[in-house]
Amino acid sequence: MRPSRMRERRTGWVPVWLAVCLVAGSAVAQDRPVADLETREEQAFKEASAVVAPAVVRIQTVGGLDRVGRVLTGTAATTGVVVSPDGYVISSAFNFVSRPASVLVTLSDGRRFPAKIVANDRAKMVTLLKIEAAGLAVPKMAPRDGFRVGQWAIAMGRTYESPLPNLSVGIISALNRIWGRALQTDAKISPANYGGPLVDIQGRVIGVLVPLSQRQAGRTAGVEWYDSGIGFAIPMADILATLPRLKSGKDLLPGLMGITLKAGDVYASAAVIDRVRFNSPAEKSGLQPGDVIASVDGQVIKRLVQVRHALGNKYAGETITVLVKRGEKSVEQKIELTGKLEPYTPTFLGLLPVRKKQGEVSKGVTVRGVLPESPASKAMILPGDRVVQLDDKAVADTAGLFDVISRRRVGDEVKVHVDRGGAKRTLTAKLAVVPSQVPAVLESDVIVAPDPKPADLPKTGRFNQDLEGHDHSFWAYVPETYNPAHGYGLVVWIHPGSDTMEADIHDLWKPICDERGLILVGPRAKNIAGWSLNEAGFIEALVQEMQQKYRIDSRRVVLHSYSDGCRFSFHLAFKYRSLFRGVAASSEPLRLAPPENRPDLRLQFFLSCGDKDNLHRLVQRTRTRLAAMKFPVVLTTVPGEGHSYPPIPVLDAIARWIDMLDRI
Amino acid sequence: MTAIRVLGMVFTLVASIVVWPSLAVGQSVHSTIQRVQQRTVKVFGAGGIKRLHSYSTGFVVSSAGHVATVWSHVLDTEELTVVLSDGRKIRAKVLGAEPQLDLAVLELDAEALELPAWDLEAESSDAGPGTRVLGFSNMFRVATGDEMVSVLHGVVAAKAPLATRSGAFETSYEGTAYIVDAVTNNPGAGGGVLTTRGGRLLGMIGKELRNAASNTWVNYAVPISELKRPIQQIIAGKYRARQRGADDKDAVPRFRPLEFGIVLVPDVLFRTPAFIDRVQPGSVAATAGLQPDDLVLFVNGDLVQSCRVLKRRLGRLDAGGTLKLTVRRGDKLVPVELPVPDKPLTPAPGQPKTKPSAGSK
Repeated sequence: MRPSRMRERRTGWVPVWLAVCLVAGSAVAQDRPVADLETREEQAFKEASAVVAPAVVRIQTVGGLDRVGRVLTGTAATTGVVVSPDGYVISSAFNFVSRPASVLVTLSDGRRFPAKIVANDRAKMVTLLKIEAAGLAVPKMAPRDGFRVGQWAIAMGRTYESPLPNLSVGIISALNRIWGRALQTDAKISPANYGGPLVDIQGRVIGVLVPLSQRQAGRTAGVEWYDSGIGFAIPMADILATLPRLKSGKDLLPGLMGITLKAGDVYASAAVIDRVRFNSPAEKSGLQPGDVIASVDGQVIKRLVQVRHALGNKYAGETITVLVKRGEKSVEQKIELTGKLEPYTPTFLGLLPVRKKQGEVSKGVTVRGVLPESPASKAMILPGDRVVQLDDKAVADTAGLFDVISRRRVGDEVKVHVDRGGAKRTLTAKLAVVPSQVPAVLESDVIVAPDPKPADLPKTGRFNQDLEGHDHSFWAYVPETYNPAHGYGLVVWIHPGSDTMEADIHDLWKPICDERGLILVGPRAKNIAGWSLNEAGFIEALVQEMQQKYRIDSRRVVLHSYSDGCRFSFHLAFKYRSLFRGVAASSEPLRLAPPENRPDLRLQFFLSCGDKDNLHRLVQRTRTRLAAMKFPVVLTTVPGEGHSYPPIPVLDAIARWIDMLDRI
Repeated sequence: MTAIRVLGMVFTLVASIVVWPSLAVGQSVHSTIQRVQQRTVKVFGAGGIKRLHSYSTGFVVSSAGHVATVWSHVLDTEELTVVLSDGRKIRAKVLGAEPQLDLAVLELDAEALELPAWDLEAESSDAGPGTRVLGFSNMFRVATGDEMVSVLHGVVAAKAPLATRSGAFETSYEGTAYIVDAVTNNPGAGGGVLTTRGGRLLGMIGKELRNAASNTWVNYAVPISELKRPIQQIIAGKYRARQRGADDKDAVPRFRPLEFGIVLVPDVLFRTPAFIDRVQPGSVAATAGLQPDDLVLFVNGDLVQSCRVLKRRLGRLDAGGTLKLTVRRGDKLVPVELPVPDKPLTPAPGQPKTKPSAGSK
């Protein structure tokens, strides 16, 4: 194929021209004062960007959502980089989160083309576009092995209505960030240049600018860091390597194996497999819990984190070679990675453990109650029984029993060894799925006031307070009979926009808190009109504060919300998985994508909605979406009700649901 | 053709870089900073409640004691004070303002000051993307007591109009601005200066501003070329504030899609794409060849992202001209031209509804 005239001329001209610049530059360097260095650097920035500018295109989108999750997506022009003369353009996936109806590309010479979205790389968050054009300028690529931390890096975008691209100048701050996927720069990276190139001082493309976050996934992850001096670029070399696959029109997904590693010091601990997901590539290849990963594709693994680095750049469909140590043996396996794992289904035995009082020591788990129709009930486990062993695993406490059960599958038969009044019995139970109903009756675990009352008892009753170190206040209700020997459930009330509903919530929930041993805390949004994402840290701090002042049972910490308050509570529940065990959300559907269900961090949902509420159908769909991810969900429909806070019978059901969050 | 155009652009750019006055030669950044700091002052006035800061920045524009600053709520007080770079605190009053440029000029209440001041004619300059710049301001009031203002560095990211017209954030300045890659626009930074590293004055740092289009905060400065005349005229006592144009937000639309024979799809979403639902037979739209399912993308060269924006654009058309539309039909962009009717639904703002008859008294 004959190269286009454009390319011919460019490849002929640019290097010569660059060479002239460089030669001239070095000649000048010897007989000019040092102060001139800055001026010449400045010229080099401009020259480097001028070399790449013809390949930097402006992207405009038409139609689509204006809000994705809680991020308001812009309608402003964004940027892309031409990657082949026949019209392929790479950009940041962020620029298309709003699922636009139409995408337009404007070349540097002003020509405009409608563009097709060809495919997305969902690991590196870039999107490939195609326009019907030929002979386009393709920038030179900086070789990956030449990257040096500290070298100049110029970020380019084409957001503004100006013939020249917008620039920001910085350096490469780090290499191999986000599990080897990206390099970091301190140039100012924002929606003004997402999708644009990061260019070296010689006018070669280092990478493509994208928002990324090392903690979150998703197309808007990392946007909150815009202009912060922390920006990311996907190396152009890596993008070009996956280009043929993207051109075929199929999305690239991050490759998953289906294992979790035993928690430990990520810097020191060996990579010991903790769980192997059912039906996952790892299970099919025969990997087992307890295997120690020794190498991935020949890369030696000594520490936990190295596994993530080794897998960071792998895609679904690729095959990796994993070497594991199993006892004395070494086992090598070829594993074809998948893009999607079957979700984890929580298992259900159906017993309520006795909640131990402070300082109480007893072996095993004593049964407080058995849920009707449950596997435990069918196996004739009785209240008062003490579970001491499950199959061949000794049971020390509730957490231990939960851990063992969570590793079994629905349908598995387990041998439950109990101590019933000194007599040992072995009962057989067949594990089931968590029921989607709350029993009509559930006796509460009565807590009596301490006698005598300790002198240093924290505040009880209803009170108002400011949270130290935060610009926020909250209110709370603690039962007057608060007894620090017992663990309490914590209900975090996330109020809807423009109404904290304090008086009503207090009046409705006070008797429930007294009966069920719950503490209610009501944070107040800074702006009464509604919650903003960045207030999440305040809620986290508030829960920690309550945990410090009161004895809180970590298995019964829930978020409760009504109407648009639920958007924030869903966000919180997904963000702080280790903090919240449940969400009781009324009259509002879930608008975020539900996360993966994790066996070790249990999360359950109680949804309620009036059947006359316009949102009723959407709330039903929320149930379906959560259930598809195998989260335990209860949905209560209130007949005859519109968009309103749930009536007392529903609140009672929520109270029972909270009271059985520690069931096994 | 394209290749030559692109190359031409590259060379024009390089040429413009080469002929740029290289002011930095022989002058160190250190001496620039000293010189600029001496001409930058801290302004203290109204505010301090809610989240309104009570301070801003200004720059000395006459040795007799005139200070240019940003027009804001800070100036809305009798108790306005200015702290000079040497720590002297002097009372000031607003001499004049140009709200459309976010500009105000203060007069210091003192005799025979002999302050170091900017010579707006000789010391200002212009710069393009990539030019290294310094920003000087009283941001966050970090400089306490007699301390001098803070300095930031960065490059000019772009020189372009501020894309804030859609109204998500209030700004009165609509002209071309320097957009900077440093975070120059902080509380209290408004009224500070943007200079080259060689010490040429480029612009006045504006207020904090959210870019309505990209939903990010934008750091910008109003070019000194826009401010020079008004500043000089306010000092000379000759300035008359510009008349604001009629606010077209509340105006009754002058044309609707229907006048052209276009029926758009129902506007159900916040951002419904402007798809044509039907074209009335015999209408100008039909004559021009518009078809159902065409997506209207550009109106007279401007992108329209929704039905709502399209209606707004048509609402503001001038009578009797030509309406240029670009539609997307399948995978093609198709340009069409339609004549704009001579009689709008409502007269243009400012125009009398009926012409006064000649000679009437």
